[in-house]
Amino acid sequence: MIFRLTTFGLITSLFVGVIYVITQPLIIESKEQARLEQLYALAKPLLANGEIQASTTQTLPSGSPVTLSNPIEITAITNATAQVGTVIPFRSTEGYSGTIHMLMALDDRQRIVGVRVVDHKETPGLGDKIDTRKSDWILQFNGLSYGDLSPSDWAVDKDGGRFDSFTGATITPRAVVNALKETLNYLDANPQILETQQ
Amino acid sequence: MKVMTVWLDGLWDRNPGLVQLLGLCPLLAVSNTIDNAVGLGLATIFVLVLSNASISLIRHLVEDAIRLPVFVLVIAALTTCAELLVQAFDYPLYQSLGIFLPLIVTNCLILGRAEALARREPFVISTMDGLAQGLGFFMVLVSLGALREWASSTLILAALPPGAFIALGLLVALHQMIQSKLKDRRAKLTENSKDRRVRTTGDIS
Repeated sequence: MIFRLTTFGLITSLFVGVIYVITQPLIIESKEQARLEQLYALAKPLLANGEIQASTTQTLPSGSPVTLSNPIEITAITNATAQVGTVIPFRSTEGYSGTIHMLMALDDRQRIVGVRVVDHKETPGLGDKIDTRKSDWILQFNGLSYGDLSPSDWAVDKDGGRFDSFTGATITPRAVVNALKETLNYLDANPQILETQQ
Repeated sequence: MKVMTVWLDGLWDRNPGLVQLLGLCPLLAVSNTIDNAVGLGLATIFVLVLSNASISLIRHLVEDAIRLPVFVLVIAALTTCAELLVQAFDYPLYQSLGIFLPLIVTNCLILGRAEALARREPFVISTMDGLAQGLGFFMVLVSLGALREWASSTLILAALPPGAFIALGLLVALHQMIQSKLKDRRAKLTENSKDRRVRTTGDIS
């Protein structure tokens, strides 16, 4: 009986494995496509006086926060004379379920041009309001830079900060705000990371 | 005869969405637009047909004690495949369906059909039942999606969760109304035939 159950387990796993191997290249491609679309939408205000450059992969020095993957893929927006902005991915592992992957566009003075959630598994109807398809919540960061607010203001209202947490869900917005704060704080102290060599 | 019953049951008489009221969670949550409804409907048909087919194929190998774990294994594997395929071929749909795509695994319609039919019936009947029940579910899901998308331009409530309940209630009521009309007509027909029989016997005597 146990043997039969194990056999069924193995067969079904093998089946899923085969489909996984077949679909994986396509999935990576569609994810990249979706990421690029997000990136263009996000950098749109900067594209008025600059062009998106090919992404560069950078290795961060030790001591970088967990919100930044290492190595990290950074996309610069430049015009003929200077870099006008940067799009940088960051993430939070403090969400309700799974990692929240986000993208942030910054201008040349490290002001937020936009923040978007690229991929998340938060609760539908509660935590998923961080997604622009569900609510405009994440647009409230536009125009801010790290120095505009005191460090204690960079938090959700439940933690004494400046930003709304939605009814019924605190963990998700807290995860986003904290990751944003940590990332901006780090970039503020290490601005050279955003400057990609041409 | 059995083939007829299978199709009639799935599409009308025992429609999973309107009569058995199975799988309400995705039915109500994902019926806000037609696109979502079609996507989830197709994914559900995919899982339901293949799960009915494969459970029917292995029905002699599965003893009672391990029946449920094996069924759940089969359904979970198929749902994972559906999720991977949608992700590979329609990434925007995958993003808008979100958690409801993997949640097909908990759709009681699928385990329900496995338990009620596929574990007893031969391959062809089981597969056909999966298709019939799946199409029945698909039809309700898409009508709900169409109804809500159409109504939401004038009535914002239709796009919100309560709108889903109200719209489903209206569809169930419509189904009941048609059913009872049909029943009346059938009753009348048999009455008529009874009359005739009385008359014929009268003629003979």
